[in-house]
Amino acid sequence: MPHIKTSPSPAPRTETKLQLEGVWRVVVLNDPVNLMSYVVLVFKKVFGFEENKARKHMLEVHELGRSIVWTGLREKAEAYVFTLQQWHLTAVLEPDEAH
Amino acid sequence: MKRIEVKLSLPVVAPLLDVVKELADGLRKNLAAPNQVVDIDADFRDAWVGELLSSQNDDLHTLLALFDEDFFSEGVVAFDEKNAEAIVRACAAIRLRLRERFLKPLGDETLESGDIDLEKLDEPLRKAFMCYLFLATVQELIIQHLDESILGS
Repeated sequence: MPHIKTSPSPAPRTETKLQLEGVWRVVVLNDPVNLMSYVVLVFKKVFGFEENKARKHMLEVHELGRSIVWTGLREKAEAYVFTLQQWHLTAVLEPDEAH
Repeated sequence: MKRIEVKLSLPVVAPLLDVVKELADGLRKNLAAPNQVVDIDADFRDAWVGELLSSQNDDLHTLLALFDEDFFSEGVVAFDEKNAEAIVRACAAIRLRLRERFLKPLGDETLESGDIDLEKLDEPLRKAFMCYLFLATVQELIIQHLDESILGS
């Protein structure tokens, strides 16, 4: 077996960097507590959605259990998740595999 | 400034405030909804959670400030563009906590539908559910009358 000199540090760092690059989704998950009108208000407030768009996403969350409410770069996606969590919605980040 | 005043029934609401205060105390160091972002480093996570806790505590302080001496003499609370956003969020935090602490035996489907016979609940559960409904009513009032203030702030 050939001896390969390894340097453990750079590899994980590169992997981490790659993981954080690309396109990310902000996904809101259903919870049984928050009112529909409250969720619509939050979507309008946080994303500037019009009433119809906010209601569409709220119904997706309610009926399908989740809705992708924003897609874009990681840093901004994190900011949106933070703000949604300030409003006590359950929000997660997912890599957008399509990009 | 748009402002709404609501006259509440003291005998009904006052006992619920003990529950609200107890849960608010429990939320000083705990988030109402868990942070589910997993792939961030520990320092970033600590800062993230710390900011959320700070925001949550500010909101809860604003909610509890509604129930001051004037409330206990007149039974009136006032919502305006300065406190509406914090109160509507604080109500969400307490309602999430109510589910965690008291209301899980009811089941999520029942909780979502609200189709519950209060007379069949034992006292602690009934009080917790009354509190859950009361906070939802506060949220609905604010959203109905002050949503433009919240969206414009």
